[in-house]
Amino acid sequence: MQKERGIMTGFKIWKHFKREELYECYQCARCTGSCPAMEVAPAFGPRETILKCLGVGYDEVVEDERIWLCCTCNVCEDRCPQKIPISELLVALRNSAARRGNIPGRLSMAIELLAKTGRSMIVHQLDEMRFHHGLDPLPPAQIDEIRQILKKTGLGEVIEF
Amino acid sequence: MEVIVQLKDKLEKPDTQFPSNDLRIGVYVCHCGKNIGGTVRCEEVAEYAGHLPGVALAVDSLYACSEPGQEQIKADIREHKLNRVVVASCTPRLHEPTFRAACESAGLNPYLLEMANIREHCSWVHLHDKDHATAKAKDLVGMAVSRAANLMPQFELTVPIIRKAMVVGGGVAGIQASLDMADSGYKVYLVERTGSIGGRMAQIDKTFPTMDCSICILAPKMSEVGRHPNIDLLTLSEVKEVQGHIGNFRVKILKKARHVSKECSACGECIQACPQLAPDEFNAGLSIRRAIYIPFAQAVPSRFLIDMNRCLNNQGIVACDRCFQACTRKCIDFAEQDELLNIEVGTIVVATGVDVYDPTALTELGYGKFPNVITTLEFERLISAGGPSGGELIRPSDRKRPAKVAFLQCIGSRSKRSNPYCSNVCCMNTIKDALLIKEHWPDTEIYVFYLDIRAFGKGFEDLFQRARREGVTFVRGIPGEIIEDINTGDLTLLGENTLLGSHYRHSMDMVILSVGIKPRKDSGTLQRLLNLSADTDGFYMEAHPKLRPVDTTTGGVFLAGAAEGPKDIKDSVTQASAAASRANILMSKGEVKVPAITARIDSGKCTACGLCARVCPYHAIEGNKDQGYFRVIEAACQGCGACVPECRFGAIDQAHFTEEQIVGQIDKALEENAREKIIAFACNWCSYAGADFAGVSRIQYPHNVRIIRTMCSARVSPRWIERAFLKGVGGVLVSGCHPSDCHYNNANQNTARRIEKFWRRMDKLEINKDRLRLAWVSASEGAQFARVIQEMEEGLKKLTRKKILDAVDKLKKTQCKKSEAS
Repeated sequence: MQKERGIMTGFKIWKHFKREELYECYQCARCTGSCPAMEVAPAFGPRETILKCLGVGYDEVVEDERIWLCCTCNVCEDRCPQKIPISELLVALRNSAARRGNIPGRLSMAIELLAKTGRSMIVHQLDEMRFHHGLDPLPPAQIDEIRQILKKTGLGEVIEF
Repeated sequence: MEVIVQLKDKLEKPDTQFPSNDLRIGVYVCHCGKNIGGTVRCEEVAEYAGHLPGVALAVDSLYACSEPGQEQIKADIREHKLNRVVVASCTPRLHEPTFRAACESAGLNPYLLEMANIREHCSWVHLHDKDHATAKAKDLVGMAVSRAANLMPQFELTVPIIRKAMVVGGGVAGIQASLDMADSGYKVYLVERTGSIGGRMAQIDKTFPTMDCSICILAPKMSEVGRHPNIDLLTLSEVKEVQGHIGNFRVKILKKARHVSKECSACGECIQACPQLAPDEFNAGLSIRRAIYIPFAQAVPSRFLIDMNRCLNNQGIVACDRCFQACTRKCIDFAEQDELLNIEVGTIVVATGVDVYDPTALTELGYGKFPNVITTLEFERLISAGGPSGGELIRPSDRKRPAKVAFLQCIGSRSKRSNPYCSNVCCMNTIKDALLIKEHWPDTEIYVFYLDIRAFGKGFEDLFQRARREGVTFVRGIPGEIIEDINTGDLTLLGENTLLGSHYRHSMDMVILSVGIKPRKDSGTLQRLLNLSADTDGFYMEAHPKLRPVDTTTGGVFLAGAAEGPKDIKDSVTQASAAASRANILMSKGEVKVPAITARIDSGKCTACGLCARVCPYHAIEGNKDQGYFRVIEAACQGCGACVPECRFGAIDQAHFTEEQIVGQIDKALEENAREKIIAFACNWCSYAGADFAGVSRIQYPHNVRIIRTMCSARVSPRWIERAFLKGVGGVLVSGCHPSDCHYNNANQNTARRIEKFWRRMDKLEINKDRLRLAWVSASEGAQFARVIQEMEEGLKKLTRKKILDAVDKLKKTQCKKSEAS
């Protein structure tokens, strides 16, 4: 596992995201003030993420599970006075985190489910409910096709399924 | 044009004292401390220069511009009988006058000096490439020496200056400038667009940091303007046309009808009678006024006016005469017409001020949607005793006094979404406003959401300290969003306190957006009329940011107040006095020397075709077929040189920028490795200054460009371009001011026309058109200049030797018929 992580850290996010773009941030916190994630996780937001990326390095940032709270709604980016592509940064960070295996358990479970059943949720109870309401059972998902898509997008390199 | 022209004691004559076969050129290579010496090996450059033809003396100097440096030049001129001087140092835009004066005091005609710009155009832009920088410096010095060999003595004309001034804009800066010049005894026309002078300062309640009542200190100055015998106050007036040049401007002013005569005593009887309503501009739209109104109580002139856009009477049809009936002095005249005034002035001060940023675009703040979100300008009117609420702090939704007030800083400033610059006044204005509230209603809770507090001026930090002591809460972190409670009108601010690293959710009764300031939306109009430059933010640009901060690049035109950049009242007044004193210098002297760079026509070669007269932007060329030749009116000629390339017979040349001189520079630059080089022709006012700015900003770009200065890009002759290509140059760049920004009345449209013609010729001959580039670079666009060079350099890499030789062959076959260039 240790060795594997070593290979994974070879992935540099600055190759995919221009570090210079972050230098223009003057920490006005309009992004965090606009972030819907602050309802569920106080004291987290793009401002802090940017500051940490520059100040302590992104390695530390990708360890932080809270980056997965971003729903890429882009509001921060729309309101950023310096036009910093914040959503792109968070996507790059999460890609990096995923490659290092830092995916929250709930999320990797959902991906596993998706790969195995073609759905990201367990739907047995749903079928019962549908039957109760006189509806036909759900049609089977195209598992093979979904697995192929997941492989092509490169998810297979990050998570085993 | 009745400008009396006095020729200097000596008329222009060939340099009989120093025949050209006895050239004795002195070359001085300046180290400028480490500025040049740190990159360019100056001793090596001086050594190289010593072997150039005609050079009698070549030395390096630590600081050529210093007293000992100048003394050395003077001594050498006498001792070594130098008859030309080349100084390789900084840009001629900085020290050409210094060295010219040194030459003159040693008895050498100042026009026999040439400068090589090895600082801004060499050492500063190739900081880490000593070898190439040194090689380039040698080239630049060589070019300067070859031009110096062709220099001739010139004698400057003296032009009288009309001892009258025009001030555009009647804000505090315009008022101060007018008073200063009028007190010095000069006639001043103060042109104000609105119905009263006073400007932004009249709208503000108190001033920082002293908390003086704004209108109380301004009103005495305003009335002084009104009664000053030397000031002609023109309100409701706009500048429509400006002709002429330094010392002799002819200005057309449109004075709109006021419809109320001078007899008006401002009794106000008419207001009650008027049935028409309009939002009051002076109160930032917070109250209403009538169609007949006085802008504000202290207005100067203290007369009513009729807003014809609101009045029921229009275009001579009188539908309502209630005000006329109500007026006891019978001073209302519906039939009054707009007037076009013609005035002649010697100097102009531009003090047009600023607009306020409109935050409607920042939808998350809800300005315009939530009634209790207002701007600082609206707040000033709200808290002013003369304002709509009589100085009571009330919030717009329910007219109750707010208990919790928030100020949001940097709205519309320091942002790529609005204005990128800091607006300079908002921090202190907010602190002052917060203290005003605390003064009247101490129990009000005040929050200031800021990003940085910039309290840099005298007394500013004290005020900031006082605000904190009086309990104003400063929160670092601008709210991301404002939510309104539609029932109560209260506002909730969502954001992050970055110092605590925690979220906040503050409920406020009223939010005041501390909005920035920006150039007037129609500032471009005056810019075109006066041939001014503007920086990238749209403010008018000064001639030099440090040493000529109130001059413009147009002689005789000066800047005052926030039109030049965001400023508070004190700075505006300081600058206005500076502008007035600069204008006074010209007017008290009564005459000015104009550079001897005019065009001259050889009547022997002239065929009186008149093409030159057609391109002259100043109508300075006159003549006709019957006379057999045309001639240049020297006092009217501004020295752009646009006429020279137009002449097919080589009959025109421009003094100090002759064909011979420039061709000499081109030839020298392309003596070696021509295919790797780029010849860049840059106009003195924009592109050359832009290249200087690239140097000042230390923007690095490829070293193979050789810049040749002309006054206007329209001076660049297609023959020069052809010459350069025949010499096998890699690329040619012609750069000038942006269209409509041209320093010479759009002379640069000729540049575009000539370049397009040359492109067509290249197309026909199947020569790669990319090798000739036309670029508009303004004085503030150093980065743009560097980018253009970078792009051309990329193009050069693809160029093969064969292609260059091919082009030379093709061009030779179709060479321009006749010119002194060939």
